[in-house]
Amino acid sequence: MTLHTTTHDAAQTHALGQRIGALLRAGDVVVLDGDLGTGKTVLAKGIAVALGIDEPVVSPTFTVVREYDAPTPLVHVDVYRLDHLQELHDLGFDDLVGGEAVTLVEWGDRVSAALPRDRLRVLLEPGEGDDDRVVSIDAAGTAWGERRDALVAAVGG
Amino acid sequence: MLLLALDTSTAQVSVAFGDGGAVLGSVQLGGGRRHAEQLAPAIEYLRDECGVRLDHLAAIAVGTGPGLFTGLRVGVTTAKVMAQALRIPVVGVPSLDLVAYPLRHSERTVVAVLDARRREVFAARYQPVPGGVQRVSDYAVHVPTELVAELMADVGESPHGLLLAGDGVARFPDEFAALEHAEVAGPEYASPSVAALVALATARAEREEFEQPADVRPLYLRRSDAEIAWERQAIGREPAVGDTGRPVSGE
Repeated sequence: MTLHTTTHDAAQTHALGQRIGALLRAGDVVVLDGDLGTGKTVLAKGIAVALGIDEPVVSPTFTVVREYDAPTPLVHVDVYRLDHLQELHDLGFDDLVGGEAVTLVEWGDRVSAALPRDRLRVLLEPGEGDDDRVVSIDAAGTAWGERRDALVAAVGG
Repeated sequence: MLLLALDTSTAQVSVAFGDGGAVLGSVQLGGGRRHAEQLAPAIEYLRDECGVRLDHLAAIAVGTGPGLFTGLRVGVTTAKVMAQALRIPVVGVPSLDLVAYPLRHSERTVVAVLDARRREVFAARYQPVPGGVQRVSDYAVHVPTELVAELMADVGESPHGLLLAGDGVARFPDEFAALEHAEVAGPEYASPSVAALVALATARAEREEFEQPADVRPLYLRRSDAEIAWERQAIGREPAVGDTGRPVSGE
């Protein structure tokens, strides 16, 4: 199942992140993909707001992993600086995923082999207008089966 | 023979001093990813309460996993550093063995299952034998449903049924409930037993099955040699010289 929608500015991408975030549960993995500047971190910020995180969420490109405390904590990962999958294992990534937190992985497609099969994949691509983003969302695994209708409603358009 | 035993392969930190295979004292701390903060103070507390001197230790025993990466690193590193400083050997025992060994008096095939996060489990199977258990499978990482399917397919190899133990079982109750002829060991068997570590490591140390500190390796079942594929997608401008091949945009 792939869902598509188009956002027309960063605020709409943020709002989409909030609607997706409202569906997330402990242990979920969300892969955010799309080129630099397409709004992966904007979407991540929306998800963080929905999880009740009030700290500012910044892209963890240089720290690779940032953890945010909340009733459902958020682990925000950006693998952009990594060259080998082993580096991800060496960060203790496996301990963080699928536990009590929601894990967001920017550029997650590139480390697919290190991720659980149950995951939500969000791809952001440039649209026709300068600020338009075509957002494609795939839900894989049993954990998403029962949330399918809620996801369709959240994504809308 | 005086031993220090420690296992940090799960969310629990377990430490014991053992003498002649029996536990002099032990500490178990549950509750999370605080191995680095808890382990050294726990050793110090036990040393004082048991009245032992570290320079009387014959060896250090450590659970080598498979298990949670961060915890394993803390435990194995602590064991190696202490052994090196004290000039004594290390006895590494896989942590799944420490889940299975306390159930050696059952007739059933014991399946030790530890939560591997990422919605996976580490597991191994054991047959009870006189005086212990014998491992009859590899140490492996599984998706729970696949482990269950494998156990169902091999049901003929376990005439007395299965006994499931370890924190991975409680983590995936629905998946493991599908197994018929399987009993689940109680929560007191959920973590690797530091008493089992004392017993098994003492027996090995008496047979001089030591390792030098530098040779001890945790069982990481998820090692990967794969490079991350960063193809060049020149968008807006060409990749700079020396670029490692990540997509480049016009930002």
